[in-house]
Amino acid sequence: MTDGRRERFEELVPAILEPLRRFLARRTDAATADDVLADTLLVCWRRIDEVPDEALPWAYGVARLCLANAERSGRRQRRVAARIATVDPPATASGDPDPAVDAVREAIAALPDADAELLRFWAWEQLSVSDIAVVLDVTPNAVSIRLHRAREKLRDELRKIPGAAGHDQVTERRTP
Amino acid sequence: MTDDPDHPEHDEHDELDQPDELRDQVRAADPASSLAPADPTWVARLLEDTMADELTDESRADGTHHRSRLTWLVAAAAAVLMATGVTFALVQEDDAGPASAGDQPAPAATQTVTDLTVSGDAASAKCLVPASAPQVVTAQTLVFDGTVESISGNTVTLAPTRFYTGEETDLVTVQAPSEDMQFLLSAVTFREGERYLVAATDGRVTLCGFSDVYSDELAGIYEDAFSG
Repeated sequence: MTDGRRERFEELVPAILEPLRRFLARRTDAATADDVLADTLLVCWRRIDEVPDEALPWAYGVARLCLANAERSGRRQRRVAARIATVDPPATASGDPDPAVDAVREAIAALPDADAELLRFWAWEQLSVSDIAVVLDVTPNAVSIRLHRAREKLRDELRKIPGAAGHDQVTERRTP
Repeated sequence: MTDDPDHPEHDEHDELDQPDELRDQVRAADPASSLAPADPTWVARLLEDTMADELTDESRADGTHHRSRLTWLVAAAAAVLMATGVTFALVQEDDAGPASAGDQPAPAATQTVTDLTVSGDAASAKCLVPASAPQVVTAQTLVFDGTVESISGNTVTLAPTRFYTGEETDLVTVQAPSEDMQFLLSAVTFREGERYLVAATDGRVTLCGFSDVYSDELAGIYEDAFSG
């Protein structure tokens, strides 16, 4: 039985490991990302019998909950640790001078959390509407409607930011 | 896991699933686009740690939320940073200090026993990976390979099969105040009948990966450090 579990787990991991690392790197600091990745894999290991064929959206759902747990319980500890050590910020495409990139990040940050998270799953994890529905445990229709709205809000935010127009458009400077 | 053409029942969502300019624009701001792939050694260790869980923790009597060993490494590192020696100092006040190796009378008349303690003392909680910290490996005064014979209260009794270094005895017990024991049990997860590599300095078990479930990798490190 244990061998069967190991086999299934070892088959599962290559399909989810790097996507989960990127998922976490987009949302938290490096130390928390490593920690939550370990938690997520542990849940996958324990619940290997429940992992669906389409494993990744399910695994994102697990990682999302593990991250929420870690953020809750680790908030105070991290605050203390941050006074002593510099906590790595989420990995950024550092050195990217493209103001359109900054503008998009700024616009997403200005959105309500739920909208921002939908857009991240849609554009960063590149999930389909039905996969996002699995991750968030809601109906595809609900995702579709919320995503439409979130996109509209993002467009509105982008319009407020100079230099955000299109990523083809080279903007020499950003006016404050 | 990109756009999935296998969901015809959600035709009405197709528009959202198609590539479009806004999606590309957001994607260009992906902070993980430059994330390097994980170090394979780190991944291997992570997976082994995960699979070492063996589901037994689900029956843990205290019902505490399981933390993987990786988590405990991080937690222990954080403990050092946060100087939580205070927490453990409270425990140690009641315990009249740790026993030093080998100077305790054996409980059974004929068997020799080494008594070890566990300390959450920040000074001993060096969270280094054994493979990359040879100076810590060689500083161990007792390293042995043994199987847990019994766990009772605050005492874990191990039957050593091999000593890499240190005075050889028939049994080794690990005794600790209960809270420290919790820390140890969480960090090393001693279980009856399982084989472990245990390292100690000055009568105190060294945590953070130096004492662990037996693995050829860790055994190899001790073999290299103490043979010949």
